[in-house]
Amino acid sequence: MKKTRMRSMVVYIMSISFLIGIAFFVFEFTLKGKFWAMNNINTHLSGNDMSKAGKILDRNNNILAQSVDKKRKYSEDKDIRIALLHTIGDNSINISTSIQNNFRAELFGYNIISGLGLSNIINTANDIKLTLNSELCKEASSGLGNRKGAVVVYNYDTGEIICIVSKPSYDPYHKPDSNKINLDEYEGVYINRALSSSYTPGSIFKIITATASLESNENAEQISYTCNGVMDLNGEKVTCLAHHGDIKLKDAMAKSCNIYFAKLALELGRERMESQAEKMGFNSNFDINGINLKNSFYDVSKASDCDFAWSGVGQYNDLVNPVHMMMIMGAIARGGTYIKPYLIENMVSEAMGIKVNYSRIVAEPQIMTSECAEELRNIMSYTAKSQYGSLFKGLDVCAKTGTAEVGDDKKPHGWIVGFSKNRNLPLAFSVIVENAGYGFSTAGVIASDVMQKANKIM
Amino acid sequence: MLKNELTGEQIPIIYWENSIGRSKLSDIVMKDPTVSRDHAVLMRRDEGWIIVDTNSKLGVFVNERKINSKETVYLNDVIRIGSTSLKLKKYRNSEGSQQKSIFSFSRNKTAKKTKFFSLMFFITIFHSLMAVSLAISKNDFTIDIWKPVIYFSLVSWLFYIFSIFILRRVNFELEILAIFLSGIGVIFISEKSLKDSYIQILAFTLGIILFLFMTYFIGNLDRVMNWRIIITIGAISLLVLNLLIGTVQNGSQNWIIIGPLSIQPSEFVKIAFIFVGASTLDKLQTTKNLTEFIIFSAICIGALFLMGDFGTACIFFFTFLLISFMRSGDIRTIILTCSAAVLGSFMVLKFKPYVANRFSAWRHVWEYADSLGYQQTRVLTYSASGGLFGLGTGNGDLKYVFAATNDLVFGMICEELGLIIAVIIAVIMAGIAMYSWVVSMKGRSTFYYISACAASGLLIVQSALNIFGSTDLLPLTGVTLPFVSLGGSSMVATWGMLSFIKAADERTYALKGGRF
Repeated sequence: MKKTRMRSMVVYIMSISFLIGIAFFVFEFTLKGKFWAMNNINTHLSGNDMSKAGKILDRNNNILAQSVDKKRKYSEDKDIRIALLHTIGDNSINISTSIQNNFRAELFGYNIISGLGLSNIINTANDIKLTLNSELCKEASSGLGNRKGAVVVYNYDTGEIICIVSKPSYDPYHKPDSNKINLDEYEGVYINRALSSSYTPGSIFKIITATASLESNENAEQISYTCNGVMDLNGEKVTCLAHHGDIKLKDAMAKSCNIYFAKLALELGRERMESQAEKMGFNSNFDINGINLKNSFYDVSKASDCDFAWSGVGQYNDLVNPVHMMMIMGAIARGGTYIKPYLIENMVSEAMGIKVNYSRIVAEPQIMTSECAEELRNIMSYTAKSQYGSLFKGLDVCAKTGTAEVGDDKKPHGWIVGFSKNRNLPLAFSVIVENAGYGFSTAGVIASDVMQKANKIM
Repeated sequence: MLKNELTGEQIPIIYWENSIGRSKLSDIVMKDPTVSRDHAVLMRRDEGWIIVDTNSKLGVFVNERKINSKETVYLNDVIRIGSTSLKLKKYRNSEGSQQKSIFSFSRNKTAKKTKFFSLMFFITIFHSLMAVSLAISKNDFTIDIWKPVIYFSLVSWLFYIFSIFILRRVNFELEILAIFLSGIGVIFISEKSLKDSYIQILAFTLGIILFLFMTYFIGNLDRVMNWRIIITIGAISLLVLNLLIGTVQNGSQNWIIIGPLSIQPSEFVKIAFIFVGASTLDKLQTTKNLTEFIIFSAICIGALFLMGDFGTACIFFFTFLLISFMRSGDIRTIILTCSAAVLGSFMVLKFKPYVANRFSAWRHVWEYADSLGYQQTRVLTYSASGGLFGLGTGNGDLKYVFAATNDLVFGMICEELGLIIAVIIAVIMAGIAMYSWVVSMKGRSTFYYISACAASGLLIVQSALNIFGSTDLLPLTGVTLPFVSLGGSSMVATWGMLSFIKAADERTYALKGGRF
């Protein structure tokens, strides 16, 4: 009997294992409960219509989304609805980077303790106030029109994103039906291109190449190369749009000379180019209020000499994210460090009397020396004044355009990145228009209009 | 107590069944080369002490007369085993307490009874509050909504009164826990269908009757051992009958439908399985190999596979492992069986890929939220919606999902009663198993050890498959949560299982007849 008695320990072990399993479930419950409960399959959230969620406001307390009479209502202005689709989201969860998707639990007042139980009795929903200016977003959206692309503007002194727009878009009240959404017109419509896309940078990458040069040479500005419109490298060619002759950094940037920056990159070498790009945030992951950005990409380890030369002028396999470029602009404007951008000002639960502030000025580490930043400000100011004179009238703006070749006989992407030097209008911007042609005439015009509008309303 | 006639050494008899032999693991170890390894078993039954010769080489002699397998031993009789003579003597204090109490139970009977009363009272209040919450959420205060809780409480109180005042039971813990769980199930079921809840209450009543009958039946071990062969044949014929005339419901052919009655025979075979698996010590020593039990298990598990009821097959397999281990302690046999099972499952998966498909959503349910992971994702979503305290009975939405009140009932508990109660319910399941482990330590026979541990092991495995299956920690196999889930056969059979644990508790019989 002794033997059998000893063996009955198995039951004890089984019960303990069972309880360990239960503990694991509780662990998963606390960890993932928010995701489980906030899933769209949950009929307590009244299916897809978000009838109980809190409000979303812009920086001037204009209502961007609210729930009235068991229906989700968006801004009354159709253009604002279209401009902010990707930021606010619609009733579905297709737009994964939207506020309504990422902050669903907060909007519905979910918490692990009471689940959705409390929200039935009192209103635990949070209202979310954004840093956006909806009028400015509307301006950017109309600037893009039917073209695909993205516009982002932020206050480089505080980190507030005041404008973020992605196209194509649609009115959340009139979502195109599923066979239409597959057409080219709506290609990638659920993607917020400012956050989740990365594009070939073209000439705007010359800023990075210039930074690498400024950081490694005492008198980088005096380095001169000769541009004959074309350069031969082991049988492959780097070409330029013009014959610039002997040219130095400042003019090379203003005139966007490919040969100069190709030669500069070859001179600096792969290691220095890569380390400078990585120091400036290439190949790293960033986020805005927990929403991840697509990372910018620079890797020349497998490039031929010619490929590497092209990488110095923003071609080859270089990719940049619009928001990341805007952050680099902020760093140049501020003297080498940028403030981390954010989108949510605060969250307020009126019924619970809780207000959580999200605005936080976080300075990131130095990505370039302040001397280098100052040189770049001068170069970019010169570039803007000498080349883009018709844009940004009356504003003290530093900028660089880019025209990124994307191959396949497609029209190039148009880029402009820059910032206002005027500390009363501390804005940095980044604009991309897909397959639109020259950066100056496409992205440049949009950026100029948005900055003019910002100057007027801020 | 035994006294060695030669050396005068006093050997205490600790257990109700004692193996005597040369083996170091025997309860009474004889250092005598003429004694077989497992020579005999000395055991206590209603009629007194009995010695059984378990196929020893030289036999057992009582008062110098060679016994014929079994013989009653009286006080001062001399038992000769090999060349050692032992005299049965009275223990110093009293005959009744040969055994030292490992766990001291409360001696105060009235205090105990008040405790049971207040617990019963608390449970009825709890169930009534659930019904109140249901009535509020449905905004329906007609008598119909109260009927399930009234009928259920009536049956449980009658059961309580019968056990305490007529059977004079001093232990009622197990029943209280089971009533608590059953009531939660009944009210959940009444949310969806009053008719189903009446059937469940009827099953609950039948379960209690089976429980009372089985507790009586197991009380006499000779009777049990004599009936084993009949139970075996009965169980096998039930399964064969099921395979012949069974009806397919929800993918498995495990139903027999006779007129208005639909029964799941596999639930009742669980009880038979334990009857066949468990055994008294003398039988364990004479039939050392597990062959018969292995054959019986193979038939059961094979039949379940043919029916397509993999969940129950899995429960049987684990219980089989548990019983084989308890009986033989032979790790090698267990490993061998396990490898055979693994090989077998591979074969099944290879030749019947649709079976593997059923498990492909496991740990990836969110990718299959509208197909294979439909039920699990709903369970997780609604569980989390309930938070720690639940949304209240009747306010849940999981009930609209298929099989909410049986396979997914744990999710309903989480959603409507909250995570805390859900964890308490899980702890109760583990608690029942622990209880059976503790009480079987004092059990009167290895039959009770094995049957109680097998029954509670089965309940634990079943609870684990149900809870972890629906919450995606294990593949979803669709088994019921003991006591709580909707299912008449399951409810009746689970109460039957409980009687094995009840019987292992020596207090169940000890104070009733006062014979010991």
